[in-house]
Amino acid sequence: MSAPSGKAFVLRHETVLLFVVVAEWCCFNALGPRFGTLDNSFDILRHTVEIGLLALAMTPVILTGGIDLSVGSLLGLCAILFGKLWRDAGLPPEVAAGCTLIFGALAGGLNAALITALRLPPLIVTLGTYSLFRGLAEAITRGADTFTNFPPSFLFLGQERWLGLPTQAWLFLVVAAGIWVLVHRMTYGRTYRAIGFAPEGARFAGVPVQGRIAGVYVLAGLVAALAAIIYTARLGQAKADAGTGYELFAITAVVLGGTSIFGGIGSVHGTLLGVAAIAILNNGLVHARQPREVAGMLTGALLLLALSSSVLPKLFAAWRRPPPAPVRSTPSPPT
Amino acid sequence: MKKWSLLLTAVALFVAGCGKSPESPASGSGAGPAGKKITVALLPKSKGNAYFISCKAGAEKAARALGIDLLFDGPTESDPAKQNEIVENWITLGVDVIAAACENREGISTALRKAQSRGIKVITYDADALPDARTFFVNQATPEGIGHGLMDEAARLLNAEGEFAIILATLTAANQQEWRKHIEARLAEKYPKMKLVAVRPCDDLKDKAQSEATALLSAHPNLKLLMNICSPAVPGAAEAVKQAGKAGQVKVIGLGLPSENRRYVKEGVTDSVILWKTEDLGYLTVEAAVALVKGTLKPGDKTFKAGALGEFEIKGDNILLGKPFVFNKDNIDQFNF
Repeated sequence: MSAPSGKAFVLRHETVLLFVVVAEWCCFNALGPRFGTLDNSFDILRHTVEIGLLALAMTPVILTGGIDLSVGSLLGLCAILFGKLWRDAGLPPEVAAGCTLIFGALAGGLNAALITALRLPPLIVTLGTYSLFRGLAEAITRGADTFTNFPPSFLFLGQERWLGLPTQAWLFLVVAAGIWVLVHRMTYGRTYRAIGFAPEGARFAGVPVQGRIAGVYVLAGLVAALAAIIYTARLGQAKADAGTGYELFAITAVVLGGTSIFGGIGSVHGTLLGVAAIAILNNGLVHARQPREVAGMLTGALLLLALSSSVLPKLFAAWRRPPPAPVRSTPSPPT
Repeated sequence: MKKWSLLLTAVALFVAGCGKSPESPASGSGAGPAGKKITVALLPKSKGNAYFISCKAGAEKAARALGIDLLFDGPTESDPAKQNEIVENWITLGVDVIAAACENREGISTALRKAQSRGIKVITYDADALPDARTFFVNQATPEGIGHGLMDEAARLLNAEGEFAIILATLTAANQQEWRKHIEARLAEKYPKMKLVAVRPCDDLKDKAQSEATALLSAHPNLKLLMNICSPAVPGAAEAVKQAGKAGQVKVIGLGLPSENRRYVKEGVTDSVILWKTEDLGYLTVEAAVALVKGTLKPGDKTFKAGALGEFEIKGDNILLGKPFVFNKDNIDQFNF
């Protein structure tokens, strides 16, 4: 696929998705009397920040043609580590949070090292760390220990408002803006798409491919640690099962947002729209008094619909035009 | 710049949505004894679990009897944050009272406290939250009730005479220890002719329970009864007794779900399964929730009258469901959980 048609694809896909999000909003607003209230919008934000962060960090990873299945497990491990540092090592929450962030980056570094130095496929590496991180979290707590009774100053991060928005929403906005600038406005981050399109081509163009790839996994680890801290502050509890299954929600949001799972095509704002579409759907169904199980079904249908709706017009156009192949090929004389 | 405008639109959308009529936050509704229909939100640990489906059946009966709206929702997947999300959604929806069975004691308490601060009443059932996050806990069974229930049933089956053994989950688990303590206390107090010859752990595994039971049967030829106080052990022990050809000679009783044991009970291997009536638990929970909203149930009350179910004792802030129920050959077909 050539670059211009790729760009057109992205734009068209995101436009479609934007309409879907608007339609969802209007639909649920009509069905649920309290859906459109400020309180509920904040609920949606609050419940979405952790998965949203993971999706944001997953976007560069998938753009380079990789995948990171370990972020949900790393969230759990980081939550446990944060709890341990705070309760058992007696560190103040800020220091414990700092250490957790460093640990998250290191854990991402482990993925990066295995993928770039040993040239193992990201799917396999992160499938391994997916089990490893969750297993470590369960081993540290023996599955039973939970960390709780955090000070209110820390819970403020997850449960209160600051300057009108839920506190963690500010962090989310900062990370979203940062990753958006990185991917769309910095030469450094623009190479992610080049790598995703053709790693060899990028290498010949002078891009330090392995270094850039390592960077996205470290970033994913760091953001997973941040999500862990916010998660702990929101629930007021850290337990080994934190973030179970979140990696799949994040990947769904990224792909729904128009990022190609093969890499090279995609955008951060697409991911944000993808996150919004899923979050609004999940929350809105409750307000429309529909059973929660429907959400999973509709998310899947939405994903398939959004993906095909951006491909169908092209297929349609190709069908309307006379097929070019017979015209161009030199007719061979019948024998 | 097209991308910019897209991004801006997306943000604007969120903001626009947020900006819409911040009508008085969910609290206003409060209790509605005069006029407005009360909405009770019932939160199970997990939605598909037969145990909670049975609770729901009882809750629906109570809802019909009282003429209230009942919401029943819970996690379907193993995401521990889901219960909190559901409670927070209910706060926004503006329900009158939330009745929760708590999967994550400390974690859910955060959300329940938030509900209380918005004027929503909160009670718990089946599994308690932290005491400051709810007004009452509908306690389905005290350790004493379970211990005495099991011991009395064993004594009834053996005419208070003979050897028996206990199979439990682990020797260290807190609830198992608690139940064992009450079983042994009851034994010492009321049944001098009965003798506890062995206590074996099965790690909450059915096959381990089966091999432990087989070992017990050969080690103690005079054994008259196996008492199983964790749910996988009941069918496990029954299988061992059946395979040893001792059905009827060695009785099997235990704490478990009727559905897991129906086969053995009907075959006459297992004599009785002890548990509370989950439907009654759901019924009582909804009755108590509504009474709390109407103000007819207050902290400090000693008894509570729950419609068709009659009167229940309140101990501190625990509403006691009462004695466990004995499921046996005659009644087990009426229960499907």
